[in-house]
Amino acid sequence: MSAPGTSTVAEALPPQRLDPRTILIRVLQGSPSVILGIPVFLAWSRGEGVPLVFLFTVMALLLTVTLLSSWLHWRSFTYQVLPDQIVIARGLIRRTRRSIPAQRIQDVSIKQGPLSRLIGLAEVRIETGGGAADEGKLDSVSLSEAYRLREVLRGIRTGVTTAGAGGRQGEAEDEAETLLFRIGLARLLYSGLFKFSLVWIVAIFGILQYLDQALGYDRDQWLEMVGVAERELQSRLNGRVLLSVAGLAIGLGLLAGVVRTVLQTYGFRLTHAGARFRYSRGLLTRTEVVVAKQQIQLGLVERGTVSGRLGWYALKVQTLGGSDHVSGRQELAPFARPAELAPIIALAGLPPFERSPLRPVSRWHTLGGLVGFFMVPTVILLVATTVFPLAALLLFAMPVPLAVALLRSRCHRYALAGTSVQVTRGVLKRRDWTVPYGNVQAVTVGRGPVQRLLGIATVRIDTAGGRGFNGPHVHDIDEAQAVAFVGDLIERVEALVSTMPSKVR
Amino acid sequence: MAFEPVPLQPLERGYLTVLRIQAAIGWLIVTAMAAVADGFLQARAGLSPGVVAGPFIAFGIVSIVFLVPGRWRRWGYAFTERELHVACGWLTRVHTVVPVARVQHIDVSQGPIERSAGVATLSLHTAGAENSLVVLPGIRRQRAEEIRDAIRARISDAPW
Repeated sequence: MSAPGTSTVAEALPPQRLDPRTILIRVLQGSPSVILGIPVFLAWSRGEGVPLVFLFTVMALLLTVTLLSSWLHWRSFTYQVLPDQIVIARGLIRRTRRSIPAQRIQDVSIKQGPLSRLIGLAEVRIETGGGAADEGKLDSVSLSEAYRLREVLRGIRTGVTTAGAGGRQGEAEDEAETLLFRIGLARLLYSGLFKFSLVWIVAIFGILQYLDQALGYDRDQWLEMVGVAERELQSRLNGRVLLSVAGLAIGLGLLAGVVRTVLQTYGFRLTHAGARFRYSRGLLTRTEVVVAKQQIQLGLVERGTVSGRLGWYALKVQTLGGSDHVSGRQELAPFARPAELAPIIALAGLPPFERSPLRPVSRWHTLGGLVGFFMVPTVILLVATTVFPLAALLLFAMPVPLAVALLRSRCHRYALAGTSVQVTRGVLKRRDWTVPYGNVQAVTVGRGPVQRLLGIATVRIDTAGGRGFNGPHVHDIDEAQAVAFVGDLIERVEALVSTMPSKVR
Repeated sequence: MAFEPVPLQPLERGYLTVLRIQAAIGWLIVTAMAAVADGFLQARAGLSPGVVAGPFIAFGIVSIVFLVPGRWRRWGYAFTERELHVACGWLTRVHTVVPVARVQHIDVSQGPIERSAGVATLSLHTAGAENSLVVLPGIRRQRAEEIRDAIRARISDAPW
């Protein structure tokens, strides 16, 4: 381990190992499964008469194996920063040597899990804008080494490797960083209320059930208790009891949302310097990510079902690599007022979203929603009701999908603005996409059998770095309009490509 | 045929042969498995031979004679120096437009069946995530190479 701050001159250092404390972290990370397994094993072995000594022997063996494999991994993993590249070598039997050229390094992210924070380690990720997520992962080095590496890599990327200059320039850039956006504690807690989720309650019950089985509690006892409660309930099943149960569920859901939000976005800070943004967030796992402006492929403003109506928006950008999430999206501002977003959007080089020129899609767009959201679920529920009469209760909720389906075509609009294609979609959660023409990779027009019958088409706009459901696609527009839209879009893409350097290399 | 921003060219007839041979191979494998099931059922349950394999053979012939040409007819392409259009799909029609300047690299490939039928496949890779590979099969090798060279010239012209 090198002393921090002694040298930012790249070529001075031989191949280096990761921090030795990584071994400890790996072992500790591996052990929860072992520890959780003990009660299960105990519960199972109770009737089998397996001696306790045997259990401890197995555990000791497992621990040794984990320790040994962690040590071997540490032993065989080296990295070296050279003037024009970083070389990462790993593998015990099959050695892999990966060199990442300096020009390809897009940015350097630093991530710290709760354990790493306790002992001052950090995971460094070298983002290249290509392929696999663990392409350039150093897990883990000491925090000071992580910061040093970031400076050095930034230096070799910009081609400044002569003694001292790289470091000084980096420091100067750091000083010039301006704070764009931060989330205080009050706003953080408030935003958590909108992340209401019943999924977590289900998860908690799932864990309880797992523990229930693992600890070998008497299930019959529980069932009996539930039975007693049920009888009690049935004897005085009135509005008050129902309301209090519902209230408890909602309260738990709100709490779960707040807890999750605090864990994820505690201390969110977005800063800006030169050609990049940097954000850091997280209570236990602290993440610091650099987003190079050049990598931004599209901008997405999300307005939540409730929070959006109250004027709280979220800004995401899709980047080439660099995101943990499969969608390739990074959140630059999770919970902000539109006025706070405007300067960030402008700094990201994205044009503002203009609502007035947006054109609606075909009215037939409603039909798909009516069938998919309303008719099919209603039929399924009706069939289910014959088996489980309680399912009929869900039928009372069906007006919601009906309303969503009816409002669907009104909420889906698109336009070709000056420098970008802009699409808005969504009834409950509304999303506004802005894709600069320079980032459109290909355009696909699809027409299913029903769509052909109705004379409508779906236009898919393919961008780099992101996949998944929520792409900037335009569903169900009239074929004549689709022809004009695609023709115009392609023409603008080409006009831009021939005058401006491409962002994707 | 309502969505057609540019007039499309059909693929070579040779590609129809390729599609037919591929379909025939696929149906042969399925029919072979059905024949095994047939023999098994005949031995065990005394069913008359061909109960399982017969429908497969019939549907395979229908598919090769009538359905494959329909699918082949749905293919079309157009290359206008600045963009490549590829249309395909029998039930769901898909029309892809790739601006030439967005192409990252190009392959021209020819499998053994394609070579005997005198056609080649042109593959365009873009940086996109969902539709990064656009494949145009069933054009003459010479034509594929022409398009490739034209695209290559335009990519290297583009300022980086």
